Amino acid sequence: MSDTGRMEELRPWVERTVKKVLGFSEPTVVTAALHCVGKGLDKRKTIDQLRPFLDDSAGGFVERLFEALEESRSARGNKGGGEKHRKRDLKVKAPEPGDGTVAKRKRVPRFEEVEEPEVIPGPPSESPGMLTKMQIKQMMEAATKQIEERKKQLMSRLLGTPAAAAASGGSSIAPSQAASFMNDAIEKARKAAELQARIQSQLAMKPGILGALGNTGPHNLVALANLHAMGIAPPKVEAKEVNKPTPLILDDKGRTVDASGKEVELTHRMPTLKANIRAVKREQFRQQLKEKPGEDLESTSYFDQRVFITPAQRPRRAFKFHDQGRFEKIAQRIRTKAQLERLQCEIAQAAKKTGIQASTKLALIAPKKEIGEGEVPHIEWWDSFILTPDTKFEGMELFGVTNLVEHPAQISPPVDTDKPVTLGVYLTKKEQKKLRRQTRREGQKEVQEKVRLGLMPPPEPKVRISNLMRVLGTEAVQDPTKVEAHVRAQMAKRQKAHEEANAARKLTAEQRKEKKVKKLKEDLINGVHVSVYRIRNLQNPAKKFKVEANANQLYLTGTVVLHRDVNLVVVEGGPKSQKKFKKLMLHRIKWEEHNSKRDDPDGDDDTKRNNKCWLIWEGTTKERSFGEMKFKQCPTENMAREHFKKHGTEHYWDLALSKSVLDGCTDD
Amino acid sequence: VFSWGSFHNAAPAVKKSRVFYGSLEEKERERLSSEAASSAASGSDAVKAGIEAGNINISSGETLEMEERVSERQQEALAAFERRRRARQITVSTDDAEVKAGLRALGEPITLFGEGPADRRERLRSVLSVVGPDALKKSRRDEERAKRSQDECQQTWYHEGSASLKDARLWLAKYSLPRAMRRLEAARAQRDVTEATRTIRQQELHKSLRNLNNFCSQIGDDRPISFCHFSADSKMLATASWSGLCKLWSVPDCNLIRTLRGHNTNVGAVVFRPQAGVSLDQSDVNLASCAADGSVKLWNLESDEPVADIEGHSERVSRVSWHPSGRFLGTTSYDRSWRLWDLEVQEEILHQEGHSKGVHDIHFHPDGSLAATGGLDSFGRVWDLRTGRCVVFLEGHLKEIYSLHFSPNGYHLATGSGDNTCKVWELRNRKCLYTVPAHQNLLSAVRFQPTDGHFLLTGAYDNTAKVWSHPGWTPLKTLAGHEGKVMGVDVSPDGKLIATCSYDRTFKLWLSE
Repeated sequence: MSDTGRMEELRPWVERTVKKVLGFSEPTVVTAALHCVGKGLDKRKTIDQLRPFLDDSAGGFVERLFEALEESRSARGNKGGGEKHRKRDLKVKAPEPGDGTVAKRKRVPRFEEVEEPEVIPGPPSESPGMLTKMQIKQMMEAATKQIEERKKQLMSRLLGTPAAAAASGGSSIAPSQAASFMNDAIEKARKAAELQARIQSQLAMKPGILGALGNTGPHNLVALANLHAMGIAPPKVEAKEVNKPTPLILDDKGRTVDASGKEVELTHRMPTLKANIRAVKREQFRQQLKEKPGEDLESTSYFDQRVFITPAQRPRRAFKFHDQGRFEKIAQRIRTKAQLERLQCEIAQAAKKTGIQASTKLALIAPKKEIGEGEVPHIEWWDSFILTPDTKFEGMELFGVTNLVEHPAQISPPVDTDKPVTLGVYLTKKEQKKLRRQTRREGQKEVQEKVRLGLMPPPEPKVRISNLMRVLGTEAVQDPTKVEAHVRAQMAKRQKAHEEANAARKLTAEQRKEKKVKKLKEDLINGVHVSVYRIRNLQNPAKKFKVEANANQLYLTGTVVLHRDVNLVVVEGGPKSQKKFKKLMLHRIKWEEHNSKRDDPDGDDDTKRNNKCWLIWEGTTKERSFGEMKFKQCPTENMAREHFKKHGTEHYWDLALSKSVLDGCTDD
Repeated sequence: VFSWGSFHNAAPAVKKSRVFYGSLEEKERERLSSEAASSAASGSDAVKAGIEAGNINISSGETLEMEERVSERQQEALAAFERRRRARQITVSTDDAEVKAGLRALGEPITLFGEGPADRRERLRSVLSVVGPDALKKSRRDEERAKRSQDECQQTWYHEGSASLKDARLWLAKYSLPRAMRRLEAARAQRDVTEATRTIRQQELHKSLRNLNNFCSQIGDDRPISFCHFSADSKMLATASWSGLCKLWSVPDCNLIRTLRGHNTNVGAVVFRPQAGVSLDQSDVNLASCAADGSVKLWNLESDEPVADIEGHSERVSRVSWHPSGRFLGTTSYDRSWRLWDLEVQEEILHQEGHSKGVHDIHFHPDGSLAATGGLDSFGRVWDLRTGRCVVFLEGHLKEIYSLHFSPNGYHLATGSGDNTCKVWELRNRKCLYTVPAHQNLLSAVRFQPTDGHFLLTGAYDNTAKVWSHPGWTPLKTLAGHEGKVMGVDVSPDGKLIATCSYDRTFKLWLSE
């Protein structure tokens, strides 16, 4: 749409606003205002421009003007986007004029710390559907008012020109002048009609509005437009009432009646042929065709909407300045933050000096439930054995003090470490070879002996390609092919026997698997090795997976408790698996994460950046305390402690928690 | 094994070497013709005559059982082969003494006339190949099992000790009961202190412990320092070294006062007598020490030679401890017993068994009524010195207990073990109060604060010592600085200094600033 066209559109609103502000219409102000808007000036400048016309009320006026501008823009946006655009508007409620701002919002802000709301939210608007309806109403009203005004003006001019002329200087108006006036008036009337036509076309381009207006159909609209053209205010009832469903009232005969009791013919949907429907439609279409040209001829006889007219020159792109003081504000905010931090640091320092913090922290980790001191007994139970209750020390009636020496039953320790540790016998390569040579020689000797004693048939002579002439001389000469085939068969047989023997020695796939598992599942008779790790942040699913998968593969049992700063990993198993798991936790996993841009800014906390894993404790226990590796999210400390207490290992938790508290103490 | 015959058919005949001496056709023709003539003349007659004369025997259908006998012989031969093969696989010790022992266990003569070790070894091997190689092991295992079951089913039994034992026990009862009374009274008085005051005191203590810092470090010897102990007046520190020397150091300036020469091997502990430096004469027995060769020596503060030796141990003595009265000395031995020595009568009044393995540490109750011992069997036992009975059995550690210490409050006992934990036991209800997962290696030493037991000090082979609040057991401070395993720790009786000694041949003093 051309720039001037837009201005024309705005004109009625501007006029209305001017009238509201001043109490009367003033075309100069309107023109000036439109001029300002057309130039794309901002509010302040517009105010400056309009001050000579409007004095004090300039501010208020400009405010309203811009509101109106905003409204018109949004209206245009709706219209331009068509159905699709409107749908999106339903979702995105913010009154954005075009796509430009949306793109702008995606821009990465230069200041990450201080988030400036990019879009200053406008006045709270109603739902978009409502908005358009209201706009329609406004547009209509404005148009009718304008037309009436114009008419009045025209009339007053026609009537009052002589008087005005007389008043102006007493001189009479020449007929030519009058004619020019007349021409003027006619010109204006034509313009008004054109305007109407434009509004009309605007309305026509909004099928949604058509829907909102109800099923009045194109006839109705056309009639409305005609009414506008004739300058008669259209009846405003339809727009309001069509939305409401008409009450369904049935009389005693079951017919539908309206409020007054008149019978109402409801549209009945009768099954009919497609051909009939088409015929009706064709008829309607023809009627439309018949009517349209007549209506169009009046206004847009030379206007082809399909032709897109490019403006003569490209509109100058306006500068997009930041609001004044925006960066000042951001800087101020950063400064304040830094100052606050410095202040906190100072306070912490002071607190540390005086020892307040350490004590409070220690109080924090002091046992919640003080170990019940209990009553101080009158006498310790071991003393009460030798002391009858009512004895005085002076008397010393001692009981049970004898010269007997006790030999209590000796109980063997829970783990038997008495077994002598035997090292495997490992032979050198040379020794291995020697041993093999000897055993093979002995085996061969045995076979020879057996053959000699006739316990075993002598073995077939071993033939190779190289020795076949020597072994099978004549036959080889007589039938070399047969002999070679025989030799080759024997060689193949030997090879096969060798390979089969190897294969027989080999473990089957299952056995191999079992062997592997057996190696991993270590002997836990001498106690279960336990290690406890503390991690500052264990939210990353990849890392969680690594921990769990490795524990399961190493046949480690245990638990993982997720708590804010204390993520505890407890694993139990054999010493070898523990060694491997320790390497995983302390070396292989890189705990600290430098968050990428994809991460949301609030996920970027200190624990993630300075994430770390500590080995809190490792040692041995008699039995496994946990089952299969499980994760548990514990929002509170008590919950975590309860979880461990359930398995009889609350001391792991206590240790980790107090360490984390004390670490925090030293960090500050 | 593949079938031999099937291929034999297809196989070409093996080449035979032939010698050709010219044509035999002539001779053969002659031979054949003469044969034909003779057979025609007297073929059947001669045979008949032969049969009649008994020179030709033709059986009338009966056969001899040759096959069976042959297969029997074959079986025997195969069995012999099998046995020889087995014998080859049996491993027999090359140690002649072991071979002899094996032969004896199997009921064979241990040696034959003119038999050397190699022959003997072969003989044992052949015997084992007949009876099976498991025979020897089985007999050994049976023996062990019998021994162990005898031990296990052993019931508690008593024997009568000497008369001096009863005297000592009575003395101990008279000594300990009033002390217990006084302690309980003091505890009751302590209860009257308001909660707030107690909290403030605790916080102050924690604050000071948090500020513990290495105050001085001194190279104690050229071998690892195994033990350190403060004197009662906190003016001296005694250290024991693996070189066999014990040294006295002034505190806190760490100057060497005296070197005590007497032991030849690793000294396990050197302990001040409770009244040393306070009420005890310099020339009196002020120190006791023990070494790995089982020697226990007593020292005074004037000479660098021992005042007296206590003899009677044959195995390693790991720790000595003084009874609070200073009259008795307890020693622990790796012969699964601990002993009580009376210095007044100058004799061993008690030889106490009960642990199934060596006893490592002993500590006496502050009242003087109880003694706690911990051993390599991972159990602790608390003995009543007056009645001589084991009153509490501490079961819970998985591995050896290396250290025990009574709290000055009289009813808490801490044990440090090879399973890297420290357990705190409540004696009043005889159960484990808390398990402190203290270190990452075995705990070599545990100490309570001697004044009022408000903190616990543990030293371990992970090169650190740690201070824990008690109760609460939060890790207040880690005393890291040693380059070797921490082998002993002690807290000075006035509660100000902490001493640690280490495998890295140094001992360090720690002080709160």
